Amino acid sequence: MKKSKSDINRRNFLKNSAVAVAALGAVGVGANYLKKLNIENSKALLRPPGAVNEDEFVYACIKCGLCVQICPIEAIKLASIKDGLSYGTPYIDPRGQACDFSCDAMQCVETCPTAALDFIPFKKAGEDAFVAYQKANPVPGKDYNPIAVQSKAMKSHTKMGLAVINHKTCFARNGKGFKGSPREDGFDGIYRSPNPKRKERKASAVNDHQFNREICDLCVTECPIGETAIAMEEKITQNGEVFSRPMIKDGCTGCGVCVMICPSTPDTIIIEKLETA
Amino acid sequence: MMKFKNLQPIPAKRREDMPNSKLGITFKEWKAKKPNKNKWRNKRWAVLVFMNFLFWVSFTFDIGVLEGSLSGSRFFGIYLMDPYNALQEMFIGSRTGYYAMLTTNFFIGFFVILMFYFLMGGRTFCSWLCPYHFLAENAEKLHNYLVKKRKIKEHSYNIGIKYIFWVGFLLLAFFTKTLVFETINPVGIISRAIIYGPGLLVLWVVALLLFEIVYSKRFWCRYVCPIGVTYSVLKKVSPVGVQFDLSKCGHCRDCQDVCLVPHELWFVKRGEATKEIHATGADCTNCGLCVDICYGDALKLTVKGFDKIT
Repeated sequence: MKKSKSDINRRNFLKNSAVAVAALGAVGVGANYLKKLNIENSKALLRPPGAVNEDEFVYACIKCGLCVQICPIEAIKLASIKDGLSYGTPYIDPRGQACDFSCDAMQCVETCPTAALDFIPFKKAGEDAFVAYQKANPVPGKDYNPIAVQSKAMKSHTKMGLAVINHKTCFARNGKGFKGSPREDGFDGIYRSPNPKRKERKASAVNDHQFNREICDLCVTECPIGETAIAMEEKITQNGEVFSRPMIKDGCTGCGVCVMICPSTPDTIIIEKLETA
Repeated sequence: MMKFKNLQPIPAKRREDMPNSKLGITFKEWKAKKPNKNKWRNKRWAVLVFMNFLFWVSFTFDIGVLEGSLSGSRFFGIYLMDPYNALQEMFIGSRTGYYAMLTTNFFIGFFVILMFYFLMGGRTFCSWLCPYHFLAENAEKLHNYLVKKRKIKEHSYNIGIKYIFWVGFLLLAFFTKTLVFETINPVGIISRAIIYGPGLLVLWVVALLLFEIVYSKRFWCRYVCPIGVTYSVLKKVSPVGVQFDLSKCGHCRDCQDVCLVPHELWFVKRGEATKEIHATGADCTNCGLCVDICYGDALKLTVKGFDKIT
């Protein structure tokens, strides 16, 4: 009996479908493998401010890159396929270019369309600070500036990670001072100095800043958060030797400015991701 | 393809009813009358290149015109979202119970895009915006040339399997809790490569193009791409599309030769059309290649019912 055209079509469709399903299965197995790889690799990826837990982040992020585009200092980059299924998701390499909060209002978080960088807690923290400030200052005075307070509260709310200092290579711990520009020639990282004397509105190159310190404390003075995040502390050893060294406090946001500015070896300060965001 | 199985085909045209006979000239003369213009193709390529260029300009010169990439963007502040990405997010949300990513802007982007492509004719996205389409369209020409020279053989499959992939990638997203498709999606990869600079995955796109050139014509767009399938659903209800007028057709079938989805032009074959006026189906990308080539202006890009208003 001769097969009709629709019969051949149907058989053709079923055959092709079987191949398609097999291909999908292969993609699924591959994806699962990449996901396992991803869990290991993505621990090393420092996510932008406000990132939700890595488990959720991997699917909440649609890889559009809006956070990359809004960042005024280009701190955020997109991961490559080497990072497995994290391909196309944003990360920050603080040694290359740290987040210095010079956008003032968590713009990368606000712009995220899928709340992979979740703005709601920032908004709440900012509003609470705003209201509290207004209550504390019912009559606006000369220095009345609730916006700055709001902005600071939002910055401080960030928890990208926690800085960890290796005191073996730290200049301050070894009693050394520092003079000159902090990083090697040709380094193009930028940041906005928190030093009120400079009154910078825009970020400038790290190497444009010249320092002269008897005991190196760049990580402390250049921290955008201030003494709630990092401070110099004195310590006396058993031999009676007195030294001061930078210590990380609870307020550290993991922004990585200290990592970028550190004139010592690259891994003197690193940012460790927190287990739970 | 919908062939209106319940409808009987209209009997084939007699010789004196052919458009050339009405003008009293031979078929060859009739075909030679129309200068070969690439009006729609040029417009389309201009739009495609301009829009992808605009993405790049917006990022490089930091202007807020069209920020983001093709998987999610903001056009003058209005969020836009790739609908297949959005569907995957919803699927994953239903698996994990975590719905925080379904924000207001997410739904604004999703519905604005659905609305826009409903008005614009569904798969219009493919030929007027998709950067992979641009590469594949030119790869297709090379493929056709190689087939003509008998260097390679054409391999075709059943076009229905794209629905299997559409469901399959959604299920994969559901089970692996990741946007699996976005990792291999050439549209997103090229879009990001244009805007943020190319990465390793560009090699995958090159491999895909090579496969399309030497083995199977338009493999990705025809048989796999679920983004296109999502838009093709909109095309089914969209008022915009290519309309075919049987009375003006000379059945030369040159349009089918240039068409990127020739099965959508099934009615141009002599004795196949079941109605005097036909509209192309879901897979038509409104690219206008057939409109450009049609000698009798039997094919036109139209808005349904528009002629009744004006």
